[in-house]
Amino acid sequence: MSILCTLKDLKPGEKACVGTILVEGLMRRKLMDMGVTPGVEIEVNKMAPLGDPIEVKLRGYALSLRKKDAENILMTS
Amino acid sequence: MGYKVALVGNPNSGKTTLFNCLTGSSYYVGNWPGVTVEKKEGKLKNTSEDITLVDLPGIYSLAPYSMDEIVSRNCLLEEKPDLIINIIDASNIERNLYLTTQLMELDCPIIGALNMMDVVDKKGIELDTELLSNSFGFRFLKISAQKETGINELIHYVSESITKKGAFSISQIFPDEITEILNKFEEHIEKNYPDVLPDYPIAFRTIKLIEKDEEILSKIHNNFELLEVIYKSRKEIENYSGHDVDSAIADYRYQYITKNVTQASKVVRENDNRFQEKLDKILMNRFAAIPIFFLFMFVIYYVSITLVGNLTVEGIQWLINDILMVNIAKGLSFLGASNWIIALINDGIITGVGAVITFVPQLLVLFMFISILEDSGYMARVAFMMDRIFRRFGLSGKSFIPMVVGLGCSVPGIMATRTLENERERKLTAVLTPFISCGAKMPVYVLMASVFFATNQTLLVFSLYLMSLLVVFISGLILSKTWFKGEDSGYLLEIPPYRLPKLKNTITQVWERIKEFLIRAGTIIFAASVVLWFLQNYTFGFQMVESIDQSMLASFGKIITPIFAPLGFGNWIASVSLLTGMVAKEMIISTMSVLLAGAEGGFTVALSQVFTPVSAYSFVLFVLLASPCMAAIATMKKELGNWRDFIFAISYQLGIAYSVSFIVYQVGSRIFG
Repeated sequence: MSILCTLKDLKPGEKACVGTILVEGLMRRKLMDMGVTPGVEIEVNKMAPLGDPIEVKLRGYALSLRKKDAENILMTS
Repeated sequence: MGYKVALVGNPNSGKTTLFNCLTGSSYYVGNWPGVTVEKKEGKLKNTSEDITLVDLPGIYSLAPYSMDEIVSRNCLLEEKPDLIINIIDASNIERNLYLTTQLMELDCPIIGALNMMDVVDKKGIELDTELLSNSFGFRFLKISAQKETGINELIHYVSESITKKGAFSISQIFPDEITEILNKFEEHIEKNYPDVLPDYPIAFRTIKLIEKDEEILSKIHNNFELLEVIYKSRKEIENYSGHDVDSAIADYRYQYITKNVTQASKVVRENDNRFQEKLDKILMNRFAAIPIFFLFMFVIYYVSITLVGNLTVEGIQWLINDILMVNIAKGLSFLGASNWIIALINDGIITGVGAVITFVPQLLVLFMFISILEDSGYMARVAFMMDRIFRRFGLSGKSFIPMVVGLGCSVPGIMATRTLENERERKLTAVLTPFISCGAKMPVYVLMASVFFATNQTLLVFSLYLMSLLVVFISGLILSKTWFKGEDSGYLLEIPPYRLPKLKNTITQVWERIKEFLIRAGTIIFAASVVLWFLQNYTFGFQMVESIDQSMLASFGKIITPIFAPLGFGNWIASVSLLTGMVAKEMIISTMSVLLAGAEGGFTVALSQVFTPVSAYSFVLFVLLASPCMAAIATMKKELGNWRDFIFAISYQLGIAYSVSFIVYQVGSRIFG
């Protein structure tokens, strides 16, 4: 399992699998509940018109999160 | 004895629609996460059993983060329903089943209602409910709440399974090794700590203790020995899984779901419909998205206020003034009624109630637009779009949803703040939502605009909406650094797919809102118009007045008038209408109509003697920003939860309204004379 980048570094249309989630506190639990768990494949759909937050696709649905959290989600190939 | 069934599911899974189908009631439905914010109850229809259905707020998990989740979780744990109907958005089945795996730990029979099967069919996927039922250990049924298919089978199955209470088996979610650790932990608790949360379902208690769920931990009161046991089991899970406990447990749940869903679903044809993406390319375009949003808002207000207003207002006024009142006067005097009765009915009741009724077509169209906006899935996207801006002002994009709802009525708007997880952000949003103009305030602006700003009506009304946004932002900035200061809660929001609003749903919603408006017109406003008429026509000695200035109302109004003098409307008619406006905002124009009825030159001329254009603008600003009506004030008190925040909120709202009107009037009257 090699770390490639963070979720924030992915461009719209690119996908990768979640490696480690470094987000802490409440947001960590919420991310897990929403299906962001190690190994799941995430594709970046788009960025908000003002550049932040971003919208991603996982487990067949669309979720939006801030870049601040996305940069603490490490992705693997 | 009756049975109790809980309806549980993710936000935006069609829960309220299903509730309405199952009980035959018509609650409010929308396409944004968090429409149901308080639990509702109804009787299950088409069954001989006495079954109460409880609709719980939509939740993603049984963790206690937001008020919604706490309400749902407590209801499930404390009221112990006889059966759970778990509604599952089948087009988003993996994420929806996550909650299901937690419900399976509640020691309660479950029925899985797979909703939105039509969307799944369109995607070209086939779901085998037989296989799903076998692997999960309880029955899954296909339904479509919107198209009302599969509802009778569901009702039938609910009544059947609830009456033959028997053993039910739920399958094992975690791998054998983890299950063994959990079982060992469970036995240990049972043997050594029999008094630890004995009323809780066993599997739920075990998992929540091991997850160190805050609320559960607070109930074991620093039992250090137990914490030691928890720590050991956590270590075991971590060693086995190679992850920390939180990720491991969530991950195992999802693995279990993915395995079973993959088994039960089959792609029968490739889905090449990219409509959703194409629509998003336009509406969420980097450069166009925000202008498009404001364009939408402008069009909504232009159509409902100017276009519809031009078509209907004159006609309705003609009907009321020239047909209804004239004929009532004729008819009553023919029957020999005395003049004061005719005056009471015409100048009191019909004028007061009629002033409100005049605006029904405009509100109808406005509510229709808001309802379409809510159903289409655009709202979540606006929250997504606005998050960056709102974050700067101490709010999150999610705060925007209560505010858009507040465009219709502040009460559901304030209630919608419950979907915000962070206490600070939630309260702040509840205090700011009333600054967004509700539908009932609109008639005041429209009336003032038509009298004083006839050529720029839409523009004037639009300027008020911009002003309210400005006040929201500035207040957010100030309050998030002072009264409501604290951490920001972060932002995580599901973006639902666009859906075509269903005509039936739109009609129901618009009708519910208009009905409420009409009921108020027929009750509170009717009664208040009668009272106002008496107060205005009699002196304290109960003598009929010769001039309105001698009336009880005038004497009373004159006491409070000086307060408003610096704002430009220091006359008792404006003061009294602001006071009656506390009951309901549309009362403001009813009051003015009653008080100015029979004035020389008609209502418009009379009104232009009371206000100048500048003081009229200052007046509508005050109406826009000052504390909302009683119903909204009561809701705000409930949501804030304590008197301290509540009194602060009311003072803040009044203070802002007073200052803004003061500045606008003082500056404006110097410029325009």
